[in-house]
Amino acid sequence: MSDSGIGDPTPKPYPYEDAPDFPTEIGVQPEGMPLHACMGLNSCQGADRFGIAGHPVDGMPNQQNDCAGQGYCSTTASHSCHVQNNCANQGGCGLYGTGEEMNQPGQNACRSLGSCATPINAERFSTNGPNKGKSVWLRARAVFEDNWPTLQKELAQKQTDGKVNSGQPLPSTPGSVPSLFEGKGPAYLWVSDDNEQRGHMAACGSSGLSGAGGCS
Amino acid sequence: MTNDEKFIVAPPQDPATWLTPAELALVADLDLNSNRDDVLARLKGDLQGAIEVELATIPIYLYSYYSVKRTEKTGENIRPCDLYANKAGGMIMSVAIEEMLHMTLSCNILYSLGVQPQLYKKAPGPYPTGLPYHKKTGPVGPDGSDKVLIPLSKLSYEQLWHFLQIEYPETADAWPEDRNWQTIGQFYSYIRCLVCTKFITDDDFTAGSKNTQVQSDNYSPNCVNSIYPDDRFDPWAMPPPNGSSGQSAAAVAQYPNSPDSHAGLVELLTVDTKSLALLAMDTICDQGEGYARPWGAAEPTDDPSKSEFSHYFKFLRLQAQMEEYGLNPSHQEGLPANPKAPDAISPAVSQTELDEVIVNFPDNPITACYPPDLQPISDFCNGVFQYMLIMTETVYKLPPEEQKLFFNIGMHRSMIWVLDPLIDMMRDIEITEGPYAGPSTAPVFMAPTFENINLGTRKTAFSALVGLGKAAVAASADKSYASSVTGLVATATTAKSDGQSMHLPDVSPYW
Repeated sequence: MSDSGIGDPTPKPYPYEDAPDFPTEIGVQPEGMPLHACMGLNSCQGADRFGIAGHPVDGMPNQQNDCAGQGYCSTTASHSCHVQNNCANQGGCGLYGTGEEMNQPGQNACRSLGSCATPINAERFSTNGPNKGKSVWLRARAVFEDNWPTLQKELAQKQTDGKVNSGQPLPSTPGSVPSLFEGKGPAYLWVSDDNEQRGHMAACGSSGLSGAGGCS
Repeated sequence: MTNDEKFIVAPPQDPATWLTPAELALVADLDLNSNRDDVLARLKGDLQGAIEVELATIPIYLYSYYSVKRTEKTGENIRPCDLYANKAGGMIMSVAIEEMLHMTLSCNILYSLGVQPQLYKKAPGPYPTGLPYHKKTGPVGPDGSDKVLIPLSKLSYEQLWHFLQIEYPETADAWPEDRNWQTIGQFYSYIRCLVCTKFITDDDFTAGSKNTQVQSDNYSPNCVNSIYPDDRFDPWAMPPPNGSSGQSAAAVAQYPNSPDSHAGLVELLTVDTKSLALLAMDTICDQGEGYARPWGAAEPTDDPSKSEFSHYFKFLRLQAQMEEYGLNPSHQEGLPANPKAPDAISPAVSQTELDEVIVNFPDNPITACYPPDLQPISDFCNGVFQYMLIMTETVYKLPPEEQKLFFNIGMHRSMIWVLDPLIDMMRDIEITEGPYAGPSTAPVFMAPTFENINLGTRKTAFSALVGLGKAAVAASADKSYASSVTGLVATATTAKSDGQSMHLPDVSPYW
């Protein structure tokens, strides 16, 4: 076992070899669709970190995700802490905040009222409330699925009003996240490119338990 | 029915504390020999004193907290000394969080009586310091002294004794004292008696609106800084419910604060009656010294679920894991009979191991004794500290609908985004000249001084903070830490995103 630093040793072989590399830049997004806090919380086709340009696929043209719930990671500007979010529903969760806030990740009301860093790395757990000790991403996905019928209706109305591309598929249930991340969310091992790029995201805290590169 | 049986048949709720015979006697005496004006004035004065007692503990605890390197090694590489350091950091932070709660509860009570709480420039100093109205002598500490003078000092066996002096448990038969008190419990006991006199009514607690007091949703018992691991863990393992095979961080996480360690319905009560004021003080006393009477300080825990140790016992347990604990019979502290002191906790951490995880801070530093090029950084740090106190005072002046956002962008951002990384940066700066400079074999590093720096009036305080920031940036221009200082000053005073402010709020419109 190496003891050269935080996060060593890494799992071998690298389990996300077949996934596209974590994109450090956020691609152009579908017009009029809401931004979101993490993988699998997107509202429509082409909305994810790769954007409408799609993610790379070996030997083939880039592919957009097909629909709501299938996106690769957050489209909100990455931030590393409670209150640093720019807008509604863009906060991560789990590190600071009340138990109530931690039970509604990705559902904050507005700018600076979000709870914690995005993307929501899969290792992160809540420190307060009903979700204490449990995965933040899984809670975020469950909340997203619960809220999807309402959001879907709102987006359908926007389509009717001509405010959103009418060609956007709005399925009755959100699709699954990319299979390598099913049931867990974006692992920090993937976000950090096999622990080589720990600066890809930071999550606050001095206990070393946030599961991501710390900012203090 | 035993105490344990009560927990089985009833929902776990902290009961309101009944007055002791000593308190009943004092209430009767006050009712007979005092008058409304005197009692109300003393109540208001004592509550401001209580606020200053709570405030005094915060820099003392944070100073030692910041001396601890919690994650020198982590994950699967954690050594016993790292586990101890992380636990010590989590425990001290868990206490500091509750001290902030206590200060706020006392502020809410005082505000309900129509008095604006005073925090700005009310921190103690110079250090070592007595606490407001605290008796100047107490039980003998490990150094043989009975002086109750609390230093700013790195984490050590002796400093933990000073923490114990602050949190020393009240005995069930203690006489209420608001002057020359020996335990904080006695001080609050006196305030409880004032509240319980015939001169004080529920109406007195409606002078300051409940809606503009600090609301309960601004408090949570734990955060990522109060938790700690109790074992090695696989940093790549997933948390429940779909956890992977390795031992995840979630699996080893310990939560030193319990959500039920409070009297009343929530931790951070707002106050508009006598009974709510009494419940708020119950929470303060229970968390500090132990669970509410009739069991009193015989309990090492402070909550119905018995999962949270009192402040006193948290600190005593940290001492109990140091090699020094119980080692030298002539090096003993004056501890109360109850709660019973814990046996030594293994694995014991030696001084050599501690030296690897404790930053060598100077004792009781002041800015004026730092090298000239470091003084502007220390001034800025103190400016942020004092501005946090002004922002806390400002909360009581806000329209209620603005409070949550202000609290987030003011209190959270200043603590987590400015003060925390600023001190983290400072503690990497070796002091090479002046009275704090250490030998090359034991270098000394820069620490926060938590002084009452003058930011002028509250209305001009933000401008003063901006000025201190500029001076810190200028003084750091050619240093290795220049970019860190520049970034932190920007976060405090100038940062924007999409054209909108992302720095600390300017409080001047409210004063």
